[in-house]
Amino acid sequence: MNFLLNISRAIDSVQERFGKALSWLILAAVLVSSINAIIRFAFNISSNAWLELQWYLFSAVFLLGAGYTLLKNEHIKIDIVNSHLPKGLRNAIELFGHVFFLGLFSVVMIYMGVPFFRRSFAEMEYSASAGGLIVWPAKLMIPVGFAILLVQGVSEFIKRVAVMRGMIPDPHEGARGHGVEG
Amino acid sequence: MAHFIAQNMAPIMFASLVVVLLLGYPVAFSLAAVGLFYFLIGVELAPLSGGSISLDWNLLAALPERVFGVMNNDTLLAIPFFTFMGLILERSGMAEDLLDTIGQLFGPVRGGLAYAVIFVGALLAATTGVVAASVISMGLISLPIMLRYGYDRRLAAGVIAASGTLAQIIPPSLVLIVTADQLGRSVGDMYKGAMIPGLVLSALYAGYVFLVTIVKPEAAPALPKEARTLGAGVGSLLVLIAAAAGVFYAATLWLARSHPNMPADNAAIWAGTIAIIFAYVLALINETLKLGMLSRLASQVVIVLVPPLALIFLVLGTIFVGIATPTEGGAMGALGALILAIAKRRLSIDLLKQAMDTTAKLSSFVVFILLGARVFSLTFYGVNGHTWVEHMLTSLPGGQIGFLIFVNLFVFFLAFFLDFFELAFIVIPLLGPAAEKLGIDLIWFGVILGVNMQTSFMHPPFGFALFYLRSVAPVNDFIDRVTGKKTAPVTTGQIYMGAIPFVVIQLIMVTLVVAIPSMVMVYKAGDVKLDQKQIDQQFQQIAPAPGSDEPPPLKF
Repeated sequence: MNFLLNISRAIDSVQERFGKALSWLILAAVLVSSINAIIRFAFNISSNAWLELQWYLFSAVFLLGAGYTLLKNEHIKIDIVNSHLPKGLRNAIELFGHVFFLGLFSVVMIYMGVPFFRRSFAEMEYSASAGGLIVWPAKLMIPVGFAILLVQGVSEFIKRVAVMRGMIPDPHEGARGHGVEG
Repeated sequence: MAHFIAQNMAPIMFASLVVVLLLGYPVAFSLAAVGLFYFLIGVELAPLSGGSISLDWNLLAALPERVFGVMNNDTLLAIPFFTFMGLILERSGMAEDLLDTIGQLFGPVRGGLAYAVIFVGALLAATTGVVAASVISMGLISLPIMLRYGYDRRLAAGVIAASGTLAQIIPPSLVLIVTADQLGRSVGDMYKGAMIPGLVLSALYAGYVFLVTIVKPEAAPALPKEARTLGAGVGSLLVLIAAAAGVFYAATLWLARSHPNMPADNAAIWAGTIAIIFAYVLALINETLKLGMLSRLASQVVIVLVPPLALIFLVLGTIFVGIATPTEGGAMGALGALILAIAKRRLSIDLLKQAMDTTAKLSSFVVFILLGARVFSLTFYGVNGHTWVEHMLTSLPGGQIGFLIFVNLFVFFLAFFLDFFELAFIVIPLLGPAAEKLGIDLIWFGVILGVNMQTSFMHPPFGFALFYLRSVAPVNDFIDRVTGKKTAPVTTGQIYMGAIPFVVIQLIMVTLVVAIPSMVMVYKAGDVKLDQKQIDQQFQQIAPAPGSDEPPPLKF
């Protein structure tokens, strides 16, 4: 079990650094998008490649950052019933969810996402708009993002088992989901 | 048994979703799992369903395509931009400056601090669209002052929580972006439609405060003299406002003459910009040359009001005029917020990292709910769930009004349990087609739901605005910093009690928007108006002469 906990710690620390690094893409998206807009107003020209870069950046943030968001326990939950359940049952729901909800979803998306990416890669597919970007990197983000999410799910599973055995304190105890809303 | 399930898949699936969501596992993954589970069952049971299930394994391959569709959706891109902008503005101290100064301005009036909170809440709402930021800064700055000078705790808590939620309905709110996206309408139209209801709602809040000051004056006292550190001097401010109004009027006239084709609301936006610049320049000249034409209060008011107003005109103005898309407006607003924070020397690398981190996590959980909902809907549509819901909703008695009453009660009830992202991604796509079929304007419908969903922030005990306020309001007895007196804390019960009148106001507002659709329909004002008579005439000319059955020969 200690071995597994070490794996979980390693995953968490890589995920933490990766998530922090990824968040810089928000600033990049703001700059790219606002400069695109200003250039369009000033010179009445726009480039599809730069317009597409906006959503490439944003997609990278939300897809590749899903695992980090899970680590921070910020995926919204409805805790109106859950918070009144006994602790043991809540832990059981977590474990069940990690395997059958998060796990199932991620596995299906990876399984379906890989051929989706490979088709695009084989054709060297470019976006339909004139001067657009090459598409496969965007499509690659789907299986990769879900793989990162799945790995974090494994880490959460290990931590939950450790919590149930009393080996570590509950990392989410007292925290109430997401901090910023709307 | 299998036959029964096969023929009633949609209701069974929906009921399971409710149960699974209540388990308390993250919504995004629960939605997807229910969708995938019923996909499996659906494929197996399809032969028994008598044609009501149209699912087979090949459909699963459509999932990555659905994710990809979410990725290249430009509208959703506005979500991180407006979130980031709000966070940067919050940390740049704009809210603090506004609350301090506007509080001083309105302070001498009974209930003045409460009016200031509503006014600043509306201003912040028009710049950020982030509820948490407004509630937390008002809770930190205005609440202690209100407690110090003897405001009723329930009123103070209620007005702060409610004013913070104005960010939900006054553009550029995130809820309007998501609702517009889900209803397949333009975000710009949704913004235009929500503007007047948002302002009317703010006025209703102020009206409630006014009522309280009449019925129970001791609940909302005026600030005592010693608390008005900026001194008096409203006179010169009034003069300045009058002058700015004059400039505004002159600019409108000038624009009407030089650009006769410009729609009236666009002209108003440009004229407003000119008037604001005029007031700001005047205040700056006065300040630097020490002319003493304006009182300290007046020049302070102008100086703190201009940055948010400028941002509002930069962002909302360009969106309303149609120069910028909401996504572009959001990006420029975010850039403007960064520049403003740098200019005020309040932007540190830590602050920037914090804002990016929060924005990244928010983006991820929001979009993942949408992805989960897309997986759910793949199956739900495959089992004809949409026709089931549409049939149920369109067969309600009472036509449009019956539908609206039912839907609003339903959403109000759900808002106790769900917050608006969940409502918007799960419930709105089901309601939209039925509304459209009944001939309801979807922008109007979206705004009604927007005002309604605002209550999800205020419902005790789970409303997020109340929760944010709780996190910054004093929990224990504390010694007031200024008076040195021991002051009682704000209890959770007082926060809940305080929210109730505002939830009632919210319902009144929903009724008003339903009763007076023209508040929303102004969004159409800028559209090209067709002259029906002329069209009829043109049709007469091309129509074949009566009596001849043959269509006129086609010419190429």
